[in-house]
Amino acid sequence: MKLLKLISWQYVRKHLLRTVLTMAGIVLGVAVFVGMHTANQSVLSAFTKTVDRIAGATQLQITAGESGFDEEVLERVQALPNVRVAVPVIEAVVNLNLKSQGNILVLAVDMTGDRGLRDYDLEAGDDTVIEDPLVFIAQPDSLMVTREFATANGLVSNSKITLAAMDGPRTFTVRGIMKSSGLTSAFGGNLAIMDIYAAQKVFGRGRKFDRIDLAATEGTALPELQRQLSAMLGAGFEVESPSARGKQFEALSSVYGMLANITSLFALFIGMFIIYNSFAIAVTQRRSEIGIVRALGATRGQIQALFLTESAILGLIGASFGVLFGLLIASGISASLGNFLGEIYGVAQRAAEVSSDPRLLLGALLMGVVTSVIAAWIPARAAAGVDPVQALQKGRYQQLTKGENRLRRQIASALFVIVFFCLFFAQNRIIFYSGYFLTVIAGLLLVPTVALWLSKAIRPAMKFLRPVEGTLAADSLIQSPRRTSGAVSALALSIALVISLGGMARASYNSINEWMRIALNPDMFLTATQNITDRSFRFPASFGDEIRSIPGIRRMQLVRNARLLYKGNPVMVVSVEIDKLAAESFLPSVAGDSATMYRLAAEGKGFLISDNFAQLYGVKYNELLSINTPNGTLTLPVAGIVRDYSDQKGTVLIDRKMFIRYWNDDTINIVRLYLEKNITVPEMRARIEEKLAGKTRLFILTNQDLKSYIIKITDQWFGLTYIQLAVAVLVAILGIINTLTVSITDRRRELGVLQAVGALRGQVRRTIWLEAIAIGIIGLAIGLAFGCVALYYSLEMAARDISGLRLDYTYPWSMAAGLFPVIVGAALIAALGPAEQAVRGNLVEALEYE
Amino acid sequence: MISLSSVSKRFDGKRQVIALDAVDLQIDRGEMVSLVGPSGSGKSTLLNLIGGLDRPSEGDIRIDGTLLRGINDDELTRIRRDKIGFIFQFFNLLPTLSCLENVALPLHLRGWPAAKINDRSRELLSLVKLDNRLEHLPEELSGGERQRVAIARALSVYPPILLADEPTGNLDSNTGAEILALIRELHSRLRATVLIVTHDREVAESCPRQIALKDGRVVMDQRR
Repeated sequence: MKLLKLISWQYVRKHLLRTVLTMAGIVLGVAVFVGMHTANQSVLSAFTKTVDRIAGATQLQITAGESGFDEEVLERVQALPNVRVAVPVIEAVVNLNLKSQGNILVLAVDMTGDRGLRDYDLEAGDDTVIEDPLVFIAQPDSLMVTREFATANGLVSNSKITLAAMDGPRTFTVRGIMKSSGLTSAFGGNLAIMDIYAAQKVFGRGRKFDRIDLAATEGTALPELQRQLSAMLGAGFEVESPSARGKQFEALSSVYGMLANITSLFALFIGMFIIYNSFAIAVTQRRSEIGIVRALGATRGQIQALFLTESAILGLIGASFGVLFGLLIASGISASLGNFLGEIYGVAQRAAEVSSDPRLLLGALLMGVVTSVIAAWIPARAAAGVDPVQALQKGRYQQLTKGENRLRRQIASALFVIVFFCLFFAQNRIIFYSGYFLTVIAGLLLVPTVALWLSKAIRPAMKFLRPVEGTLAADSLIQSPRRTSGAVSALALSIALVISLGGMARASYNSINEWMRIALNPDMFLTATQNITDRSFRFPASFGDEIRSIPGIRRMQLVRNARLLYKGNPVMVVSVEIDKLAAESFLPSVAGDSATMYRLAAEGKGFLISDNFAQLYGVKYNELLSINTPNGTLTLPVAGIVRDYSDQKGTVLIDRKMFIRYWNDDTINIVRLYLEKNITVPEMRARIEEKLAGKTRLFILTNQDLKSYIIKITDQWFGLTYIQLAVAVLVAILGIINTLTVSITDRRRELGVLQAVGALRGQVRRTIWLEAIAIGIIGLAIGLAFGCVALYYSLEMAARDISGLRLDYTYPWSMAAGLFPVIVGAALIAALGPAEQAVRGNLVEALEYE
Repeated sequence: MISLSSVSKRFDGKRQVIALDAVDLQIDRGEMVSLVGPSGSGKSTLLNLIGGLDRPSEGDIRIDGTLLRGINDDELTRIRRDKIGFIFQFFNLLPTLSCLENVALPLHLRGWPAAKINDRSRELLSLVKLDNRLEHLPEELSGGERQRVAIARALSVYPPILLADEPTGNLDSNTGAEILALIRELHSRLRATVLIVTHDREVAESCPRQIALKDGRVVMDQRR
C-alpha cells in the first residue's frame, strides 16, 4: 500500500491524461454492457411487471399460442372441481391515435367473474358502473382507463374515444377511471379495460379467447392441477404460471442480448489492448524506478503485486464510471429496444422506467477489474523480472526483441495449423468456436511483425511525400513496434468487426431483396394493422369473399400467421393457400423439389420449413415434424426446405385448410392481391375503399410500401448493430491517442531537436499527424485482411446460432474503400491533441529530457 | 551580430531562481567567444536565450539586428533556422536517421530541392571528414564522429551564428581537441560568429574573447 502511494500514485499524477485514456476503454466497454443489458432487463421487467400486475390473483394461465382457442374450452376448464375461478381474457396493444402515448394495452375481460381475480379500484362516482358488472357489460361501448392515462390524454368520465374496429369505427365511452394501484401500473399505466365480448368484435377474434386466467380452490396442489389441465386440453395448450410468460419474451429478445454481449465484450477486448499497451510502456519507462525499489529490497512478488494492484484500481475506477454512464444511456436504449421488438416480433412493450439489477452492476464492476488485471498480467510479470543492476544503467527505450518477435510468429504459425484442422471438424460447435478464437489470437500475435513490415514498406512513400515529417513518423513506428502494436491491434480488430458486420449487412440486403422479389410479388397487401408484424386485429374469413367480389383481381391469397411454441421456441407458423402461392412463384428451394414440395404441402401431406428453422432446430428434409395444436399434435414430414426471411426465429409454412382444421382459426392477417393487367394499383385501392370504407378496419399497402417497410426493419436491425461499430471505432481512436501521447513523451527530445534545428510548429504537428495516419493505414490494412476471416466466421455464427439464415459470402469492397477516409480522418482527430502537446512543450526541457 | 540589453531570466517555482540578472552584452560578427562560469551561473540559459530556444523574463535580445521580443514562435524558429546553428553536448542526433539524413534535416525543413540538399549534405560531411560514413546510423559512430555529424548539421545552411553548448564535454580529451580544432577551422573558413559554452579552461582560453558569468551576471569580459 505504501509502495502504491509512493510510486504508483506519483506516476499516475505525472501521466494523468494517459491514465484517463487507458481507463476510457474499460469505461466504454462496461458502459455498453451495463447500458444494453439494463435496457434489455428494463424492457423484460416491464413486460414481467405488466404480466404480474394484470395477473392479479391468477395462479395459472392457459394459452394456445397466438391463435387463441374456442369459447367452449372455458366451460371445460370451469367444470373442473379444483378450479375456483376461471375467466377468459383477450389482450391487445392498440394505437388510439391520442395526443399522448398512442399505444395502449387493452385488457378485455368478462366483468361478471373477473373481479374474483383482479381488483379494479375505481375512483369515487365511477364505482356504480362496476358494482353491477351487468351495467358495464350491458353497455358494450364501456371502457375503463387508468388515472395516469386519463390525465395524460385529458379524459374524464363519459369521454368518447373512437377506435377503428374490425367491424368499422366504434366509439367507446370512458365509464370508469381506475385509481393508481398495482393493476394500473401495468404497461406503464397505459391500460384500458373493456368487455371481452365487445373485444371479440373489435379485434376480429370471432368466438375465441386469447387466454384463460384461473385460480384454484384452496388446498389444491398447483402442479397437480397444471398436469390435469394439460392432460385434458392436449399438447396444443400451454398451462403455466403467469411468470413463465416472461421466458417467451426473453426468448424473443435473446438475439438482442447476445448482440449486447458481443458489443461490450468486443469493447472490453479492445480496451484490454489499450491497458496492456499502457502497462507495457509504463514498465519500460519505469525500469530505473523499479530497479531502485528492487535494489532497496522490494521482492519480485511485491513489484508484480504493485502493478496488478494498480491495474485493479484502474479497472475498478473505470468500471465504476462505466456503470454510471451505462445507467445514463440505458433509458434511451430501452425506449428504442421496446419499439424495435414491437416492429420485428410484433410484441409491443414499453419500459417506463429503467430497472437495474445489482447483480448485473456488480458483475460489470468485476468484469472491468478482471479485464484490467488480465491485461496488466504480462507487463506486471515483466516488471517483476527487471534486473536491478541493468535497470539502474542508463539505457534506451526497450524494444521488442527479435527473439520475442520470432517466438510470436512461431506460436501464430502453430495456431494457424490448428485452425486449419479445426475447419475440417467445424460442424462441432466447440471446435468451430475454438477455431475462431485461435484465429483471433494467432492474428493478434502476428500484428507486431506485420505492423513492422508495413511500417518499413510505407517509409519510402512517406519520405517521398514529406521528407522530414514522413521519415520521422515512419521511423517512430519502426523503432517502437511494441508502442504501436497495441493501437494497431485494437484498430485492426475494430475494422475486422466493421467488415464482418458490413459484409453481413450487405449479404442480408442482397438476400432479402432477392427474397422480396420472389416472395413478395403481389401488387397489393391488405392488413388489419398498421404494422405488418402486429397481429392484434384480424379479418374474419368472410373478408376474403368480400374482396373476391371486387372486379379486377386476378388472384388472391389469404394468409394467417401466428407465433406458436415449437419445443419452447416462439416460431412463426404461416398458413396460406399453398396451391395459389405455387401458382405465382416458388420460394428458392434449399432441399427438395419445388413442384413436389408445394404439391404435398397444398394437399396437407407435408410442411414447408424455412432454412433458418431447419438450421436453428436441427430439422432435416423428409424428417417428421410435430407441431402441437389446440386439436392435438400435427405430425407431417418436411416436404421441403425453402429460403425464407419472414422471421428470425424460423418459419413453418402450412396450408390454410390444415391451419383452420387444427387451430379452429379461419381469421386472416394479410390478403395478398394480384391484379388484372388492365387495372392499376390506385384504381384498385379506390375500388376497395369504396366497397369497405367505414365497414372495417383496413390498411392497404402497395408492393413498394411493404418492401420499404421490410427494408426499414432491416435498417433498424443493422442500425442497432452499428452501435458496435461506433463503440469499436471510438475505442480504437482512444488507442491511437494513447499511443501518440506515449510516442511524443518518448520522443520529446527528438521533437525538441527538430524544433531546435528549425522545424516550424506546423512541421512538428505534421510529423505527429503522419504518424497517426500511418498507424491508421497499417491498422486498416491488417483489419481489412482480418475482416475476410471474421466475415466468414460471422456468417457461420449467424447461420448456426443467431438467425439460422445462411447468407452468401460477399466481401464489402465499397465499405472497405469507405473506411479509408473514415480511419484517416479518425486518426487525424486522434492526433490533434497530442500534436498540440508536442509543439507547446518547453524546448529547453525537451532538449535536456532523458 | 548579437546584442543583449538588460536581459534577465527568472524561473518561478516554490522559490524564485534568477538565472540571469540584467546582462548587457555585444558580440560582433565573426567573433569567437567562450562563455565560462561555474555550474548554475547562467551560461546555458544565456545560450538558450540567444538561440531563441527560450525567452527572457526582461530585456531585449537582437540577432543580426532583429529584435526577438514580441515575435511569435514560428518567426523565432525562422530566425533560428536561418541564422543559428546549434552544437549540443549530447549531440542530439536523431537515432533513426543516417548521417546524411541528419545533416539534411534542417535543409529539408527549409524546403530545399532534394538534389541541392544532397550536394550540401555530402559537402558538409566531407568538410568534417566523414564522407566515408554517409549511410551510417549515429549508434554506429564514435562520440567524436557523432559530434562531427552534429557540427555538419549545425553548419548546414552556413548560419552566421554558431552556438555550442559544451561541445567537448562528452568526449575524451584527444577527441575534444580535434573537435575544437575543427570548430576553429570552420570559424576561420566560414567567418561565422561562434559562441562556446564550456567548463574546459583550455577551450575557453583558446578563444579570442572570454566572458565569465557568476550568479547570472557577467563578471569578466576579456579579449586577447
